[in-house]
Amino acid sequence: MRRLFKMSTVFAAGLALTACQTVDNTAGTPTTYVDPGSSGPVRGVGIESQDIISMTDQMMRDMLTEPRLASAATPPHIIIDSEYFQNESSSRLNKNSITDRLRVSLNRSAQGRMQFVGRHYADMVAKERELKRQGVVDKATVPGAKAQKGGDYRLGGRITSLDSRDPRTGMIQRYNQIVFEMVDLETAEIIWSGIYEFAKSAQDDIIYR
Amino acid sequence: MKSVLSAVAATTGCLLLLNGCVQEPAPMCNMAGIAAQRQLVAMPAMLPGQPSPLIEMPLNSVNITDFAIMNKVFVRTANARRTPTGTVEVIAQVINCTDYPLNAEARTQFYDAAQVASEPVSAWKRFNLPPRSSNTYRESSIGTRTVDYYMVEMRETR
Repeated sequence: MRRLFKMSTVFAAGLALTACQTVDNTAGTPTTYVDPGSSGPVRGVGIESQDIISMTDQMMRDMLTEPRLASAATPPHIIIDSEYFQNESSSRLNKNSITDRLRVSLNRSAQGRMQFVGRHYADMVAKERELKRQGVVDKATVPGAKAQKGGDYRLGGRITSLDSRDPRTGMIQRYNQIVFEMVDLETAEIIWSGIYEFAKSAQDDIIYR
Repeated sequence: MKSVLSAVAATTGCLLLLNGCVQEPAPMCNMAGIAAQRQLVAMPAMLPGQPSPLIEMPLNSVNITDFAIMNKVFVRTANARRTPTGTVEVIAQVINCTDYPLNAEARTQFYDAAQVASEPVSAWKRFNLPPRSSNTYRESSIGTRTVDYYMVEMRETR
């Protein structure tokens, strides 16, 4: 009898708990889109989306004013990737977000004034070429090429920073410097340079991931 | 004696008043004069058969779109020229009329002969304006043959 009483108590408690777990039938927090080209509600002293958009747009437009790049008799072959673009700053940053945006915007804007070589896809292309030549796959529709395209010029550059902090107030200031250089792949001559720099200060730095 | 004293006092007062009028160093910006040159049209935008009421933002000019700096900066010149590759470079000289440093930013939209936007608007480009000094904003177009007009928008950097 006592055992039956215990069991019924546990059953009743279980029912009561189940009754508490109702659906929270309210609207969720709406996603807030912000303009990536302007400062958002979360701001720190590092490189942010508006800086990436501004610097790549600035470099792209500047490269289009360089005659050796934008008005050569034969459009030069350009390689833009992050292989030789180093991040030596104290900002945690995926440098591909800079070089990818620069390559895409320049490729779309150049409209034949330059040709872009996807060196970061070289392995993918080599594998497909090998399959075609082995007869594993057919030759597709585009006529074959002797070899993959070589580059005339390749992007190099560096991101550096200089941090300073006031120990009394906790104020932090960071100077960011981003250098872009286009290098002749035969002579190592730097045929075009661009620099983007800014300094920001804030009471507390935010966390970049 | 009394009349001499009053004459001296009056002259001193006038000098002080005049001094008060010219104490501001260069550059001096007559914001009232600039405002008087603006033409505002009380008409909703895009009425069929009516000219555009957007006289406040004419092409081939720099338009300050931010109340925060509207009466603080002065656009001294706005010019455009062709670069060696055929793109168009817009150059605007901006003067900070205040005693304080300002951070401003601007972007440019380029238009073709039909006054249609011929390419994406440029990204906002920041420039610093130290107190009572000038700085130059530059922007280049992407296209070469499709650029006939431009319009620069300027605002305070936040």
